[in-house]
Amino acid sequence: MTCPTCGKPADAHYRPFCSRRCADVDLARWLNESYRIPDAAAGEDEPPEDPVPPTRQ
Amino acid sequence: MAEAAKKPAEYGADSIKVLKGLEAVRKRPGMYIGDTDDGSGLHHMVYEVVDNGIDEALAGHATDVAVIIHADDSVSVRDNGRGIPVDIHHEEGVSAAEVIMTQLHAGGKFNNTDDSGNAYKVSGGLHGVGVSVVNALSEWLELTVWRDETEYRARFEDGECVVHVYPVGPAPGKRGTQVRFLASAKVNRPDGTFSNLDYSFKTLENRLRELAFLNSGVRIVLEDERHAEPQRVELFYEGGVREFVKFLDRSKSSIMSEPIYMVGERNGIGVEVAMWWNDSYHENVLPFTNNIPQRDGGTHLAGFRGALTRTITGYAQSSGIAKREKVDFTGDDAREGLTCVLSVKVPDPKFSSQTKDKLVSSEVRPAVENLVNEKLAEWFEENPQNAKIIVGKIIEAALAREAARKARELTRRKTALDVASLPGKLADCQERDPAKSELFLVEGDSAGGSAKQGRSRSNQAVLPLRGKILNVERARFDRMLGSQEIGTLITALGTGIGRDEFDIGKLRYHKVVIMTDADVDGAHIRTLLLTFFFRQMPQLIEGGYLYIAQPPLYKVARGKSEVYLKDQAALDDYLIEMGTEGAVLRLADGTEIAGNHLAHVIEGARQFRRVLDAFPTHYPRPILEQAALAGAFDPGRVDADLQAVADQVARRLDAVAVEYERGWQGRITQDHGIRLSRILRGVEELRTLDGAILRSGEARRLSQIAGQHRDIYRDPARLVRKDREQMVHGPIDLLKCVLTEGEKGLTLQRYKGLGEMNPNQLWETTLDPEARTLLQVKVDDLAEADDIFTKLMGDVVEPRREFIQANALSVENLDF
Repeated sequence: MTCPTCGKPADAHYRPFCSRRCADVDLARWLNESYRIPDAAAGEDEPPEDPVPPTRQ
Repeated sequence: MAEAAKKPAEYGADSIKVLKGLEAVRKRPGMYIGDTDDGSGLHHMVYEVVDNGIDEALAGHATDVAVIIHADDSVSVRDNGRGIPVDIHHEEGVSAAEVIMTQLHAGGKFNNTDDSGNAYKVSGGLHGVGVSVVNALSEWLELTVWRDETEYRARFEDGECVVHVYPVGPAPGKRGTQVRFLASAKVNRPDGTFSNLDYSFKTLENRLRELAFLNSGVRIVLEDERHAEPQRVELFYEGGVREFVKFLDRSKSSIMSEPIYMVGERNGIGVEVAMWWNDSYHENVLPFTNNIPQRDGGTHLAGFRGALTRTITGYAQSSGIAKREKVDFTGDDAREGLTCVLSVKVPDPKFSSQTKDKLVSSEVRPAVENLVNEKLAEWFEENPQNAKIIVGKIIEAALAREAARKARELTRRKTALDVASLPGKLADCQERDPAKSELFLVEGDSAGGSAKQGRSRSNQAVLPLRGKILNVERARFDRMLGSQEIGTLITALGTGIGRDEFDIGKLRYHKVVIMTDADVDGAHIRTLLLTFFFRQMPQLIEGGYLYIAQPPLYKVARGKSEVYLKDQAALDDYLIEMGTEGAVLRLADGTEIAGNHLAHVIEGARQFRRVLDAFPTHYPRPILEQAALAGAFDPGRVDADLQAVADQVARRLDAVAVEYERGWQGRITQDHGIRLSRILRGVEELRTLDGAILRSGEARRLSQIAGQHRDIYRDPARLVRKDREQMVHGPIDLLKCVLTEGEKGLTLQRYKGLGEMNPNQLWETTLDPEARTLLQVKVDDLAEADDIFTKLMGDVVEPRREFIQANALSVENLDF
């Protein structure tokens, strides 16, 4: 497992981080709303429909 | 020589004054040389003499200073400078050397207002009292001078000259001064000054090394002859303070390859700074004034700190880093892990005390501040890579400080009582035993409302959580957990937060259940929550306390019976079961497929559909289906006889089409693909399976699975029910017939969100321990989730968008 903050190997005591520092930096980023996931759906069109209607009996 | 050795005939009033001066030194040695008991004063005796040599070197006249601790506890200090003058001093009537040794405040360095050649502009001199103090506090002192190709000597006892300067003999090519003295000590005589003569090699070495660093290019040698095995160390640093900084951090790892180096002069004050940052959290700034260390800092340090904070703040703001991380840093943050040597050369410096531990000369502050401001800003401008690393480290320091503070605040908040008093927040349960209590983290207020009404109040608590949406720019929205939400969550759990404060023993619920909508937003909120727990409360997961609820995606009603189905696959299973009731698949050769065998064939059709779904959407599915059954994707056949394959595809398409729409023709294209066309009401309809798609990886997979279906659909089959039958031309066709049949008489409701369920439905499907299924979250799953999260959060916007588009499905299916 690698430290989510700096990428160094994790330390069992601070898992999944490598150090107290990196764990604290991560906590601060949660608490100041730095962690965001871009909303992929916004502004995107639906995939085009099948252009040919199924031909069947 | 005998004449020279005699005392001067006239013992005048001036001489008496001299004696009185040295008498004062002996009476209050502490004032002049420092503590005579703890060793510091004793070592200062050596430094005082060394400083004379260093001054010679700084003036450009000497290159070497040698210090020897002799076996008899005397110490000699020798430089290769000009040699102190031995001619007669006009005012005093004795040799200049003698004046220097016997008068306080004598010597070239006190003329610093004078521009004459032999005055030193600035000088060290630990106490600025000159070598006469050393003489005053020595049992004996021997002076040797090499000057004008001649060696001279003089001897002093208890400060008095007992042998006047006399030439010993020729000394061709030799120059310099040597002072050897035996400090006056109580161990040798009752009226001695110092308690003992225990010179510490280490102490001397440290100070001499400091001097070697601060006076780049001067070679200082220290030898100890007191022991059977003599010790010797040579100190020579051409890099000056830069090497000093490296030496200080020799066992630490720096975040930069070379220290920042600044040198210059402002208003006659020389400033030299070397600094860098290491990965520790300690500040180590050593200020020196004229080679003397200031333990308590002073105006030079204040000027440096002011400029450092100002420059870095300016850079963090102009580069946008501060804004992005939303944190304000302090001077302390900027100095975390900083190692710096700050050396100023000041004419006539003023200190707060005799020990010179603090510089108070007010003109030094603006000089240092001005120079560091200018040079450091310049350096940041020219070294953007390193500047980013430095500011990154400082921002981290600020974030960590802020986290620790907020963690304390959040943890000290009284637990659930506080949250419960906030409207729309935690609806707690009556149960007080954590082992029996459950907390549902529910996405959205309306679902939260339903959950609050539908739950079992005795042991189920509900906390509605809203993912906060931020409009970052036009047509781009970011989703996050608001700090308020996280704060409320932590308070509700009761554990506190942060490495010092978190206590899993205080967890108020032994089942914490994440309940989000089955859409992309829900998946994002779930990913955020899981990542938060994984990183900041791993014990919650390791203890097996974290779960994911599985609310249904569909409700199916047929007549009076209602069924909840959790996802698309479950719905398909259900529809197929209904659609195949009493049905038989009759093949062209009369074979009948029913029951389990039919179920197996339909399962095969679902696999066929999944493989087909991998094809780009612009290829019509019915064409692909028939082409696959005709063998158009078989690697062997397309390359052996493509025209035969094209003909067979056309034949199959004709078989599917109604009579008046037939007439499909297959041709080979230039890229060895198949061009299919027919005339429909006078207009040509054209479909192309290009060469690339026929030979793609998708084609290979489709060919493999088509092989299993070929025999069934070689000629049109019939799906027979008791009242009617339908023609079936392929697996997709079969699936459609079955699903359409299955949907007959059904009312299907797809829940777009939890909020569409009424409290009763929520209880029946998701909350009721008898009916629900909960997925327990495991750490192994989360390491992967964290990886996805990290990619989602990536710095660069464009690759991040691509990644999200490519992984939209896998994010949605983040089910553990």
